[in-house]
This record gives sequence, C-alpha cells and structure tokens, in this order.
Amino acid sequence: MARLLVQLKLRLLRNATRSSTAAKISFVLSTTVACLVAAGAFVVLALLRGTATAVDLTTVIFTVFAFGWLILPIFAFGLDGTLDPANLQLYPLRTRPLAVGLLAASASGAWPVANVIGLLGVTVGLASGALGILIAVIAVVLEVLFCITLARLVTTGMAGLLRSRRGQDLAAFLIIPIFALYEFFAQVVPKVAAEGKITAASFDGFDAWMRWLPPGMAAHAIQDASHGHAGTALLRLVLLAAVIVVLGWLWIRSLSRALVTADTTTQSTRARRGALPFGRYGQRGAVAARYWIYQRRDPTSLIYWALTAVIMAAVSASSIVGHQKHPGVLLASAIFGGAFVGYFHANAVGLSGPPFIVEAEALTSRKELRAYFSGQDIALCVIAVPLLTAISFALAAAVGRLEFGWLGTAVDLAALGAGLAMSNIFTAVLAYPMAKRAGSPLRQAATGYNAYGIGGVLGCLGTVAITAIPLLFAIELTPSAPASIRMPVLLACAAGYGIALAWAGVRIAAVAAEQRLPELCQVAMRSEV
Amino acid sequence: MGMPRYQVAKRADHKPRPGEPAIVVRGLHKKFGEKEAVAGIDLKIAAGSLAGLVGPNGAGKTTSLSMMTGLLRPDSGQILVDGLDVWEDPRAVKAIIGVVPDEARLFDRLTGMEMLEYAARLRGLPVDEARSRAAQLVDVLDLTADAGRLVADYSTGMRKKATLGCALIHNPSVLFLDEPLEGVDPISADVIRRLLTRYVGSGSTVLFSSHVMELVEQVCDHVSIIDKGLIVASGTTDQVRGGKTLQQAFIDLVGPRSSDEEGLSWLGSSSS
Repeated sequence: MARLLVQLKLRLLRNATRSSTAAKISFVLSTTVACLVAAGAFVVLALLRGTATAVDLTTVIFTVFAFGWLILPIFAFGLDGTLDPANLQLYPLRTRPLAVGLLAASASGAWPVANVIGLLGVTVGLASGALGILIAVIAVVLEVLFCITLARLVTTGMAGLLRSRRGQDLAAFLIIPIFALYEFFAQVVPKVAAEGKITAASFDGFDAWMRWLPPGMAAHAIQDASHGHAGTALLRLVLLAAVIVVLGWLWIRSLSRALVTADTTTQSTRARRGALPFGRYGQRGAVAARYWIYQRRDPTSLIYWALTAVIMAAVSASSIVGHQKHPGVLLASAIFGGAFVGYFHANAVGLSGPPFIVEAEALTSRKELRAYFSGQDIALCVIAVPLLTAISFALAAAVGRLEFGWLGTAVDLAALGAGLAMSNIFTAVLAYPMAKRAGSPLRQAATGYNAYGIGGVLGCLGTVAITAIPLLFAIELTPSAPASIRMPVLLACAAGYGIALAWAGVRIAAVAAEQRLPELCQVAMRSEV
Repeated sequence: MGMPRYQVAKRADHKPRPGEPAIVVRGLHKKFGEKEAVAGIDLKIAAGSLAGLVGPNGAGKTTSLSMMTGLLRPDSGQILVDGLDVWEDPRAVKAIIGVVPDEARLFDRLTGMEMLEYAARLRGLPVDEARSRAAQLVDVLDLTADAGRLVADYSTGMRKKATLGCALIHNPSVLFLDEPLEGVDPISADVIRRLLTRYVGSGSTVLFSSHVMELVEQVCDHVSIIDKGLIVASGTTDQVRGGKTLQQAFIDLVGPRSSDEEGLSWLGSSSS
C-alpha cells in the first residue's frame, strides 16, 4: 500500500507538470525554492555553532517548520490528491495500511526531502560528539515525522470542511496573515534590524516555553546529548516519539471516521436579509446592492480590503518604525490605497465570471452600462472612504503626527476616484478570464493573461500617482495656510476631483463596454468562479 | 455571403402571431481557429412552439444558442427573434428573450430570492413588482423553503430552477435553454417541464437543446437535429421521427460514434 500511494503521489506530480508549460515552470520553481530552503536552513543552523543562543534559535526554526507543515497543506489540499481521504473512500482498504501509505506519500517529494536536509544543519550547528550527531539525526527524523503526522491529522480532520465552500473560504482568509507576515519580514524586519533593534541576543531565553513543545524537545535533546546528558536526551526523544504516536493514533481514528462520514457541503448558510437594498434607485441601485452584499459575503472581497490595508501600512513602515516622519510617506500610502482598491476591482467581468451573463443580458445600452459601473463605484466607496480614512489616521497616529491624517484623507479621496476610474476602464477594455488553481486560495489570471494582471497593477499605480499630482502640489504649496481653512478646502477639492475622475471613468468604460459586450460575455464564460 | 436577408421588424413591441416565425436563423457560421463550430445553420421556429435542438456533444448546439442570444458574435448569418435582428438591435432583442445557459450562471453569494429580485431589477422592473414576481416564481419553482439560502449551497436542480426563474422574471416572449434538465432530479425536472408547457401555452416560444431524447419527444412539437455544425433534420417531432423513436431516428441520422465493445470478455464475470 505504501509503495502504491508513493507511486500515486509521484505520478500525480509528473502528470501535473505535463498538463501545461505554466505547471512545468511552477514545478521547477517550487523544486528550486525547496533546494534553496534546504541549503539556507542547513547553513543558518550550521552557523549557530558556538553561539550562546544556538538552542533557542534552533527551537524557533524547528517550530517555524512545524507551523509551515500545519498551514501549507490547507492551501495545498486541492493540489495533493493523496491529502483528501475522499479520493480513496471507494476502495476496499484497511485503515492501518492506508495510514502508513498516506504517511509515506506525504514524506515523498522535494519539500519533505528539503526539510530533512535543511534541518540536518543541526548536526553541525548544535550537535557535538558522536552521540550528539546520532541524536541529532534521530531528532531531525522525528521532527519531520512529527510535522507530517500533525499536518495529516489536521488535513484529515478538516477534510470535509476543506472540501466545502466554507472551508475554501476559511483557507482563503489565511492568506491575510500570511501576506501580513510576508510584508512584516520584507518591510519592517530589515528596517528594525538595520537600526540594531533585532540581534541574536533578542532570542535569548526565547525557548523558555517553546522547549516544551515537540520541536523544542527535539532541539534540546540534541543539546543534552552534546553536553553528555544522554539519559535526558533519550527521555526527550521518547517523549517526542510518544507525541507522534498519539498524533498518529488520533489521525488513524480521524481517517476511519473521514472514510465513512458525510460531506459537510450539505450544510448551508441562510442569509438574514430577505430583499436587496437600494430598492428605489433603479438599475444603479440593483448593481450597488449586489456589490454591497458581495463585499460582505464573498471572502475574496474581504481579502482584497484586508490586503489594501496591509499594503498601505507596509508602505508607511519606514515612518512607523524608523525615523522618516515626512508626510510624503503617508501620502504615498494613500496613493497605494486608492490604486489597489482600483486594481483589486478591475476586471469586474472576469471576477464575476459566468454570472455576468445575467447582467449582460439586461444591461446593454450606454446608459444602462453607466448605471452598472457607477453602481459598483457607489458600493465600493461606501467601504473604501471610511476604510482608507481610518487607515490614514491610524498611520498618522502611529507616526505621532495626527494632523497628517487629514492630508492622507484628501489624497485618499482623489486616489480613490482615479483608482475606480481605472478599475472600470480596465474592466471594459482589458477584461481577462480568471482561473482557479489548486493550492491557491485566490483566483488568478488564466494562463496567458498574467501580463493583463501586471498591466492592471502598473496602470492603476501609474495613473493614480499622476492624477494625484495636482493635489500633492496643493498640499505642498499651502503649508502656511491656517489649518481650519486649509484642511476643509483640501478635502472638498479632493472629494470633488475624485468624483470627477470616477465619473469620467464610468463614461469612458460605458462607451467601451457597449461596443465589446459579446467579447466581455466570452471572457466571463471562460472565467472560473 | 449574398444570401437573402429577412425583413427586420422596426418596433420592439412587434409580436408574431401563433404560427408565424418567432426565431429565424439564416446562414449562421462560426469558426474557432480552424474548427468550424457552426457551418451554416438555417432554422425557423414558429411562435408558440416548444422546439428542441438535439445533437451529439460538440455538434454546435451551445455555440448556436450563444449566437442566437447575443452572447457570441457570429462570423456571418442573420438571426431574427420576433422579427428583430439580434446583431443589429441587440438591446431590443435582449429585452424580449430569456436565456438559461448550459451551466447555471448565478451570483452564488446571493440567496435564491435575492438573485431573482436582482435579475428583475436589472431588467428595470419596479422594486415592488420585482419582489412580488420573485416570490411567485420561488413558490412555483418549489424553492420557497430554500429562498433564504445562498445559491452557493444549492444543488444542481435548485440552481437550474433559479436560473429558469431569472430568465422568466421579465416575462420574455422567447426563451432559450441550453440543456435545461442536465443533472436535474426527476421532481425538479417535472417542475421545469410543467412550467415550460404552461409558458408555451400562453403563446410564447421555447427553444431548448438537450441530450435527453425521451424528454424532447415528450414535450417538443418541433425538433431540429444538429451534427457537425449543420442542421441535418428539422420539422415537427413526428416528421423527424419518421415512425421510429426519436432516439433511433437520431442515431440513424448522426451515426453511432463508437465500435462494438470488443475485448471486454471479462466484463460481467464475477471472478474479477
């Protein structure tokens, strides 16, 4: 059984690479990154040799690897056919050999091997003496086994949920903290480290509680063995093995249940509201109502708003954690905010997918299409204006210059108008089909249309930045004006300017969409929802 | 192409009398790259008919229906619905047709009731009328108990019924359906069938594609068989059947697609 399932996993991987060039490139990239992670982890762990915080940092790295194993299979659920017990439900298989086979399948592939190789860096960095190295090798094997068993337990326990719409929504939401973490490490950590606020000593005593977690037990077993405490080291490894056995037992029980349990997709959500809002406002109101509901119920919409907030905060990272307190940084955040609201909602046709046909069958004249685009803008503004304003003031407060919040808000309003204009124009003239890819919680541009997505980001950012120039001049030229006059005038002018830009975008988009409606329908029909 | 073009109606409220053509298709062509999906279709469906368009997979049914409903631009040809040219006056045509595509295309984060109301309001119905019609359709389509659930949680049959509701809510005079009963349970299929029969009884016209010959034979008064992008037979159901079952007539016209199941000698023995 183990051999069969390992062969199945390898065959699935091979077939996936054959399906398209994009899949081949993705496989090569993934394998390359796995090799880099293996080499990087090995080197980092090896370089800890002789440092006072070696065991603390090893514990942290072991814990980070375990966390990765816990999270990533939730994303990769649709990618790895061996993760879902439902795929094997119809075959007459006994649970125990099936569990061993699934475990073996999990341990196959570039990433598990990269894990083992990378973590073996402890044989250089933390272990010393023959016994230390022997214990280190066993500890690494047990650590990887722990990671795999934990990941299997979680994915099997959540299999029904992950197959369901709600589970996929949940998996999609995980992208928010991951993106925030990425931005934290990419933007904040380098700046803080450059100012000397993070050093190796910052991790001193970090493992006071982590040492009692299974990854910590593995790391400390190596240190104990290297310091001649063989008994303590063995005891820690036995404890770790016991944890793995318990997890394995729980996993087998969960697997037995999953093989005979009904799918949770039969459970459904009942909405509170009985009728659509904005009933008095005709077709514009109908479109605004649909968009408004989607902003709350569609996880993709919620994710886009959260990502916009993260991007705005990341752009201002240098002001928050560093010494750069110039208002220009906050104004750049506002420009990014408006541009990304536009970009995330550009290609509304591809994002709507086949349901756009319902709209296209009803909205055909230029006037109706103006109602369609402006209805979307109204719904987005209801969320974007307070959100961007709140973020601008929060960033200004974090910097310690609350008055910058007003300036940020003024740029928010103008940038939002420009962003929405570009969003509608891109929807009409550069619509592209979206595809759902296993392993990715958000839909992406279909194969061959990646340039459209990149063009959308650059187009929105460039246009929003250019259209914000008059307002930036106004801000730059009026610093000495009394704030009680300057701020209301700036806000009023920015709001008027933003509305004018958005309205121009609606008109241009309606003219373009009227000519291209059948082509837009084809894009919608080729999109996956 | 130099082919004769039919007289196009000037007024959107023109409605053909029973027996007059409600759908006229003339010389319809569509190519995708080198593949000719529709190779010159001519079709005439009388008002008040319940017409079926049948054909094997890849015969051009969905492509033809997409062109007839203004969703796919044809390479050449003319399509008239109630005398209005689909590609010269798409707005007027879309106002008088309803479309049920092959796959349910609904906003799945709306509830069934919200979806129907949305479709009605997009069609310009006043909000009270939209809500009233949505409630009546939910009732007739047997969706009342699930009207407050998200469409995302609907079964295939429920989605088809909701899509049909969206297509009917503005009371179109011609309804196009692509595989309306695909994957639908018998109870839901019966609801849809009864609704279509009632709709046609009022003088409106239905054209639907289907693989289910028994269904077409039962409910359609007009049948067209399409194969390799061409109409190979068209007429009343009795004419097309020619004394046989529609299934047999279809196979005779289109031809079997696979060889006999040689090499399956092991199939049916219990000794694996």
